[in-house]
Amino acid sequence: MNEPASDALYWSTLVAAVSARRDRASFMRIYDHFAPRLQRYLRNLGVPESMADELVQEALLTLWRKADQFDPARASLATWVYRVARNLYIDQVRREPHWLPIQEGLDKLDQAESDRLDSEPESLFDHGTLKQAIDRLPPVQAKLVRMCYLESKSHSEISAELDMPLGSVKSSLRRAFAKLQGSIGGRR
Amino acid sequence: MKPNHHLDDATMLSYSAGALPTALAIVASAHLERCAVCRAHLLDADRIGGLLVHHQRVDAPVESARAAMLALLDAEPATEQQMPVADVVAAHDPDRLPDALHPWFGNSLRALRWRRVAPGVQRIQAGGVSGGDLMLLRIAPGSKLPLHSHGGSELTLILDGAYDDVLGHFGPGDVADLDGEVLHQPVTSPGVPCICVAATDAPLKFSGWLARMLQPLVGF
Repeated sequence: MNEPASDALYWSTLVAAVSARRDRASFMRIYDHFAPRLQRYLRNLGVPESMADELVQEALLTLWRKADQFDPARASLATWVYRVARNLYIDQVRREPHWLPIQEGLDKLDQAESDRLDSEPESLFDHGTLKQAIDRLPPVQAKLVRMCYLESKSHSEISAELDMPLGSVKSSLRRAFAKLQGSIGGRR
Repeated sequence: MKPNHHLDDATMLSYSAGALPTALAIVASAHLERCAVCRAHLLDADRIGGLLVHHQRVDAPVESARAAMLALLDAEPATEQQMPVADVVAAHDPDRLPDALHPWFGNSLRALRWRRVAPGVQRIQAGGVSGGDLMLLRIAPGSKLPLHSHGGSELTLILDGAYDDVLGHFGPGDVADLDGEVLHQPVTSPGVPCICVAATDAPLKFSGWLARMLQPLVGF
């Protein structure tokens, strides 16, 4: 991975250029980084290749169209792109027609809130620390987190697949989340 | 109205990963609408997902796919579409059900058509939820439910009224996200009925604690 990739400012500058000037070169730098990653993400979730190709295009087209709505103070580009791709997956692969409008509603609530409050800007949060915290998770917790996010497996599917009691699956995920949250400033 | 009982962190991770069974995700969404604390946690969970995707090892983008993307940009209008201004968040209306429940139960608490399933217990079952079971429950004030524990994953959000159990007091907006092991006996508060929305991930109807609770009463 190229090093600038870890730099939230680098990405938000590119999005700003897309938003302000419809800058294709900036857009394609975003594309070159995220398209293969989203493709891999969707393929791992079991999405057939041609459909994954389409969803990747659609996710990035969303970025092209809604670049003006990207607010680096609320979410990094990686978080934003992840949400878009995840939502498209649930909408079009899992075919849950109510998911997208609900997520848009939640987003509006957050938007209204961050306009009111002085929220913690994500661009200031260090991706490096979270990455290190993920790398430092005990092997079982790391495996569960990956099965959850990168294979989209439910607690009971994980429990069945690993022959691990449901309660242990949940408590391991809980401990993993607490550690990772601690690394990004710990909110609870 | 600030909720005091929140989504479990394990539930939050699954929600963010798109891995929560549908019925549970609907109740989680309904709670998220009313809980800024959980929305902040969800952002943290999404950051983890974003980072995992961001740090995957991948090959360089395929040239034909790049060309296809550029062709799509050619087809886009030159100027950015003006997005409608975000709706002003309406003042809280106690009759209005959370948006996430509208497709299943409509938008008004008063307009619900309840069906009595046991003395003091009314229910509305949502039809057509693909993953799990989703229902509204209306339990008479001052009722003591039978002592029970939960089998699989179950999520209950209080919409009106309240109850107390070993875990504390649950009022509107609070969510009970219980482990299978928890044994509890909710007692609804006096005054108004306790209305809640409950989801299970069980594939069969009435296979959860509610079934066992209602079984002797109505003989499912």
